Amino acid sequence: MKNDVRELRLAAGLSQRELAEALAVSRQTVNSIETGRYDPSLPLAIAIARRFQRSVEEIFHVD
Amino acid sequence: MSTDRPLGAHRVAATVIYLAAVALIVVVGLLVQEHGPGNMGRGMVQGAGVGLVGGLFVLWRVTRRPASATTFERSWTQTGDERDDAVLTRALAVLGLVTFPVTAAATIAVALGSPVEMVLALLLMTQFAVGAVAFAVINRRS
Repeated sequence: MKNDVRELRLAAGLSQRELAEALAVSRQTVNSIETGRYDPSLPLAIAIARRFQRSVEEIFHVD
Repeated sequence: MSTDRPLGAHRVAATVIYLAAVALIVVVGLLVQEHGPGNMGRGMVQGAGVGLVGGLFVLWRVTRRPASATTFERSWTQTGDERDDAVLTRALAVLGLVTFPVTAAATIAVALGSPVEMVLALLLMTQFAVGAVAFAVINRRS
C-alpha cells in the first residue's frame, strides 16, 4: 500500500521523530510506514490522517 | 498503537518477574548442581545471570532512553508500539514453526545414540539463533 505520509510530514515541517512523538509510536515505525514496508493499523492510520487533517483515503491508497 | 503506557505498572511487573526469576534460577541451579552431570548447575546459573543482567540493561534503556531503544528492546519489554509487537509476533511464529522439525531432529539424534546433554545444548542454541535471525530479518523488512 502506498501513502503520502512523507510528503505531508515534510510539508508540515516535521521530522520523523516529531511525528512519531505526536503519534506515540517509534521513529522506526514512522520510517517503515513512509517507505511502505509497514502498513499501519486502522487506528494508527486514522491518527495520521487526523494529524494532517486529511482523510485516510487521501493518504493511503493502492496504486 | 501507543508507546505511552504507564511505566509505573511496568516497573512493578518487571520487579516481581525479576525477583521470581532470580529465585527460580537459584533453586533450579542448586538442584541441577546437586543432581546434574558435571558443572551443569554452575553453567546454568552463570548463563541465567548474564541473561538477567542483559535484561536489566534493556529495562534501563527502555525506561531512561526510550527514544534510542531498539525494536528488540521495546518489544520484549512490552513497551513498544504496534509495529514492535508485530515484529515480535512474526519472529516468534517463525521460531514456533522451526521448533517442530528441529526438536524432531534432536530426538532422532538422541535415539541414534548422541549424547543427550550435547543434543539439548545444541537444540537450545539453535532455537536462540533461529529466533534472533528471524527477528532481525523481519525487523529489517517491515
